[in-house]
Amino acid sequence: MQSEIRNPKSEIASRRMFLGAAAGLTFAADMTVLNALKSPVLANELKKNDKRVILLWLAGGASQLETFDPKPGRPTGGPFKAIQTSVPGVQICELLPKLADRIGKYTAIIRGVDTGNGDHGSAARMMHLGRRDEPSIKYPDLGAVIARELGKADSQVPDYVSFYTATEGRGNAISQSGFLGARYGAMFLTEGNSPPNLRRLEEITDLDHQERADLRKLLSDRFARSRQSASLSSHNEAYSRVRGLMASEKLFDLSQEPTPMRDKYGPTLFAEQCLIARRLVEAGVPFVKVSRAWWDSHGQNFETHLELATELDHVMSTLLDDLQERGLLDHTLVITLSEFGRTPQINASLGRDHFASAWSVTLSGCGIKRGSVHGKSDEAGNTVIEGKVGAAQIFATIFQALGIDHQKNYHVGSRPLPLTDPGTQPIREVLA
Amino acid sequence: MRSPLSKKLRGGWLGNPMFALAMVLAQACAADELLPPDKPVEEAIDHYLDVRLAKDGVTAAAQANDANLLRRTMLDLVGRIPTAAEAKAFVASTDPGKRVALVDRLMASPAYVRQQTAELDAILMRGTNQSLKEYLATSLEKNVPWDQMFREMVVGQEGDAEQKGAIKFVRSRAKDTDKLTTDAGVLFFGVNVSCAKCHDHPLVPTWTQEHYFGMKSFFSRTYDVGEFIGEKEYGIVNYKTVQGESKDSRLMFLTGEVLTEPESKEPDDNAKKEEKKKLEELKKGKQAPPAATYSRRARLVEIGLKEGTQPYFARAIVNQLWNRLMGRGMVMPLDQMHDQNVPSHPELLAWLARDMQTHKYDLRRLIRGIALSKAYSRTSEWDGSKERPSDELFAIAIVRPLTPWQYGTSLRVAVASPEYFSSDLKEDEFDNRVKQMEGAGRNIAGSLEYPGDDFQVSVDEALLFSNSDKVKNELLRDGKEMLSTKLTETKERREAMDTAIWNIYSRPPADEELQALEQFLHKHEDQPAQAWKQAIWAMLTSGECRFNY
Repeated sequence: MQSEIRNPKSEIASRRMFLGAAAGLTFAADMTVLNALKSPVLANELKKNDKRVILLWLAGGASQLETFDPKPGRPTGGPFKAIQTSVPGVQICELLPKLADRIGKYTAIIRGVDTGNGDHGSAARMMHLGRRDEPSIKYPDLGAVIARELGKADSQVPDYVSFYTATEGRGNAISQSGFLGARYGAMFLTEGNSPPNLRRLEEITDLDHQERADLRKLLSDRFARSRQSASLSSHNEAYSRVRGLMASEKLFDLSQEPTPMRDKYGPTLFAEQCLIARRLVEAGVPFVKVSRAWWDSHGQNFETHLELATELDHVMSTLLDDLQERGLLDHTLVITLSEFGRTPQINASLGRDHFASAWSVTLSGCGIKRGSVHGKSDEAGNTVIEGKVGAAQIFATIFQALGIDHQKNYHVGSRPLPLTDPGTQPIREVLA
Repeated sequence: MRSPLSKKLRGGWLGNPMFALAMVLAQACAADELLPPDKPVEEAIDHYLDVRLAKDGVTAAAQANDANLLRRTMLDLVGRIPTAAEAKAFVASTDPGKRVALVDRLMASPAYVRQQTAELDAILMRGTNQSLKEYLATSLEKNVPWDQMFREMVVGQEGDAEQKGAIKFVRSRAKDTDKLTTDAGVLFFGVNVSCAKCHDHPLVPTWTQEHYFGMKSFFSRTYDVGEFIGEKEYGIVNYKTVQGESKDSRLMFLTGEVLTEPESKEPDDNAKKEEKKKLEELKKGKQAPPAATYSRRARLVEIGLKEGTQPYFARAIVNQLWNRLMGRGMVMPLDQMHDQNVPSHPELLAWLARDMQTHKYDLRRLIRGIALSKAYSRTSEWDGSKERPSDELFAIAIVRPLTPWQYGTSLRVAVASPEYFSSDLKEDEFDNRVKQMEGAGRNIAGSLEYPGDDFQVSVDEALLFSNSDKVKNELLRDGKEMLSTKLTETKERREAMDTAIWNIYSRPPADEELQALEQFLHKHEDQPAQAWKQAIWAMLTSGECRFNY
């Protein structure tokens, strides 16, 4: 049990790194190994193995035609042109010029996504869970699984942070730890950029706050001494993380970021939250989700995408560059995901409707074969003609890119539940 | 598709026909040899648990002390910790019959109905964002038998044209027949057939897709129209088998028994149009559709309670209540009560199920029996000199997280000044004050997660208690009815510490914690009011206050 190892504070850093590296191994408290890890060189090596994820959730359904799978010149193509990317033969929509320059350096495009579900609610759930909802099993969402797989028991930072400031579609963009339990639930931010209850109330001094926590621990430990219960341990563990999490409040404070960096990202809320996401993964948060709403362009699809795709282009490019420059991109996976794409047909309101038969997802950074493209839609964009994939394969690919076995089982009672549905294969072509 | 595990199981000892036969024989013999039905419930419980302990060579933990037992019993029966006065009186009493008197007094109190209502509602309505509280409160007060409640929840109550009563169980799930099927199977029969939806059940060879869709058929004719539900008299569930074959399902119960039905005909298009129009009108007029003359849901109740199939129903409620009061079921998980999942105490489960059936599904009878058993009153402590027995032996009390409702109310009771619950209060007034605490406790309870199996406390909870205005304003404010003010005004520190520990932990203080508190208070004696608030906070958030132990 990871939580049962007791180390002096000075060792926590190296221990966290060790645990990161040991994820997946059967863990024994072998002090000789721990001591070896005190060597800074080795520790640094291991730190690089700490994988993280930033999920850009394009809520409402981004149009693949105005982003990563344009069909210029077709009746369904719309007014925007396709432009050449840094990968020979690969074009994306002209609304994404900055990303076009970076595809070859950072990103894989998955074009043949067919998820067969055009309903906001259940499609969003599917793209969060990687599978269809099941009445009897409350599956954890991607963030909760990553929190569980990559988070550390005693982590001083949150495991899973989720931004969703807009109200449209927020109810669909579930944050659900399901059978993994609330321990892996998201710190869910709906207002502002700073999570609730992270800041000490003014009425209590920092010293008192610390000392009452010490008293709490003393009383609690006395009670727990002769009793054995996993729930009871989790209670004490949760409280032991409070002080560390409070210290992480500064991660959400953008005034600590130099002005030139803030200017680079830009002034929009999405940009700010992406910059916070970078601060968070840099500090070791395994999963951050930034939601941008509302792409649901039943009317005026092209205006909507002019605004939103342009913003995505700038912010995502800045984020990828920033992660790269900090040496973080090799172990940070940046994902763009929606509940579905949009119809090739343009409706009477110059909009595009819900469409789940041939849309696109991107994966950048960690574990990804950069510049690769998987799958192909037909000339009009109506169907997938090559490399059709669904939610399960995308999830399997994400897990593989992070070094997590996508066939690993969790157990609910006696029932084994693999991370992705049995028989699912990751998309090897986009994996490094 | 069958998982590799299922192959292993079917090929291994579970799948061995000889083993299966042995199991059946063992159960049949057990049924003949059960203890006589007139044994008191608590004696039967202890008898069977002791037999297993002796067989395994395990000595059970000692009985819990009075203060511990009182706290546990009150949390389970009335949903809150005792007040300091109640705790002191119970500990001081030398009446040998005090435990029985306590249980009977608690179960006769209005708070008992409120607590059972809250717990049952949480279980029955989880995941629906609707509540059955009103119905449950009335029914539990009258001690309506569980089989009748089952009928009312699945079929509806007489004279409930508004559909505001028990039928909300179905109505809240009518949009999702799969959920309705699964929940009904889990809650009333202890069986989760949803694994058999897409393929035959991997662990239970006797459960096939046919069983799942057979069970679904009981609900498939139920539809919702506006705020009401109705039931059609035709309609067949069609599904695709793993082999891709399209199949009409028969009305089949879990046991495989197929029900014969009156001939039903799919109406023609015109009739369907007509029907649709009628429903639109009903919806507009906000009226409920007329009851079906033939109801498949009524057939489910009928077969569920029939001689021979009834044990599913009886065992499920026994296991459910046992789990709630003992911290785990005799069958775990609660929704896997099938013949491949052997109960920890098969004879006891059979005895209690039979007792349920022969005593009109009287929930109170079982709850009382468990609460008076020696198994229930063991300590949760284990000294560690011997290997700790496994939880399934019930040799040590299991530490259980409080439900949000229990924790919310208990926190409010804990921070009320002892005078607020003075023993001079008339019974009515006392209960009114308790009710106020229950109401006030909901605010914090609303932020907490309902504990399921393997519950883990979230860091959100710890942050909420550590840094929120809510907790500060509700639990740590000043006021003459508040514990913190009372303690600050108490001159003798030792006396104040005693008061705090009785009030929050419902027991006499231990030296070690007195020292710790003394040290803390001494260090902060320049600000005694603040010091006490922080000390109270530390006690409220400690494991002892958060769990039923």
